[in-house]
Amino acid sequence: MGGKVTCTLGEVKNRADFIVYWGGNPAECHPRHFTKYALIPKGKFVPRGRKDRTMVLVDIRETKSARASDIFLQIKPGKDFEVLTILRALVKNQPVDRTQVSDTGLTMDQLQDMVDRMKRAKFGVFFFGMGLSMTRGKHMNSAAVLTLAAELNAYTKFVAMPMRGHGNVTGADVVMRWQTGYPFGINFSRGYPRFNPGEFSTIDLLVRGDADAALILGADPGATMPQPCIDHLARIPTIVLDPKVTHTSRLAKVHITTAATGISAPGTAYRMDEVPLPLRPALQTSYPTDEQIIRRIYDAVASKPDWMIHSGKMTSAQI
Amino acid sequence: MATKQFLLNPSRTGKQGTQINIGKDNDEYESIVNTLTMHPDDMASLGVSQGDSVVVRTEYGEATFNCESGNTPEGMLFVPYGPPTCRLMGAVTDGTGMPMSKGWLVEVEPVDNELK
Repeated sequence: MGGKVTCTLGEVKNRADFIVYWGGNPAECHPRHFTKYALIPKGKFVPRGRKDRTMVLVDIRETKSARASDIFLQIKPGKDFEVLTILRALVKNQPVDRTQVSDTGLTMDQLQDMVDRMKRAKFGVFFFGMGLSMTRGKHMNSAAVLTLAAELNAYTKFVAMPMRGHGNVTGADVVMRWQTGYPFGINFSRGYPRFNPGEFSTIDLLVRGDADAALILGADPGATMPQPCIDHLARIPTIVLDPKVTHTSRLAKVHITTAATGISAPGTAYRMDEVPLPLRPALQTSYPTDEQIIRRIYDAVASKPDWMIHSGKMTSAQI
Repeated sequence: MATKQFLLNPSRTGKQGTQINIGKDNDEYESIVNTLTMHPDDMASLGVSQGDSVVVRTEYGEATFNCESGNTPEGMLFVPYGPPTCRLMGAVTDGTGMPMSKGWLVEVEPVDNELK
């Protein structure tokens, strides 16, 4: 287990003839995804566009995306890992207990048909969403779909990609990865990066009360995190950089209004396939950018005599 | 008032995503994140009508939502992520860094809508 067999959305557009959405609802959450990258466009090896592609939706309910699917597999809640494991077994022609199949909400015929179609595909792709990665099993569910994609490459070309939400969350992961080797939950307190989800990740730090100050950049934990985290952010000095008033800015000690990246500030955003795209602002603003403010804070802190940079533990390239 | 158990799945919706980009500091956003979708038969069994209020409880907290009937499986509830779901969410991440964000077992109790 480990690793991700993946590709760019350009390859999906030009090659994918079998597309599976698992625990995601792109018709609502990624409104341009079907038409621009995955389902509708005509590609080099799928010249008839939608007619050359088969789309399967796996979910616990019939969402708006089901209308765009050729096959809808409605599974029971919390059975994603079981379905993926049964598919892995069937791909390798291993025996599967029919009782285990019936627990998933699907039939053996549906699962075998899925396996046959996956093996017949020329270029298959799994797009997986929060319905897979945020339910019981979490990262193990993601690992199961990544493993299934990897194992299908013994028969045909198959890839997997998470359906990332919100602006540039992929960018945060990618930049942290190439700077430190880790995507999130990183502790710099010793002057070098350490990674341990559950210990150094934001929610755990806030719930335990370990953090005694917080700088929130381009996020609104006050409307997304568990209540104990929000309560702790209200207790400590919290500084928010955001173009808008948010639930977090209301509980913060300081809110600095910033320019909206991509609208009134330039920058780079990573698409969900990890392709970096330059952003050209369409409007002008008098507000500073996130980068300008962070650099000014950095310079002010760096001018302090006991700042770590003077002891050689951190370089300016790390900011 | 009768109390019934459900499986709550907070999720993202198109309206919610649009409103996040317009701004959260308004009634429209509040209305979106305070509206719970449930199967019409479940609404009947709870004795609530379209727009009525219910209290949803988990072991971590409670929040009040307005009901809306929709195309959801019986026994399951859907609501867009927002401040009310923060109050229901557990803070334990099981070493992953992420709390359980879907599939919560909840108790639902109708608010006496006559008294509203």
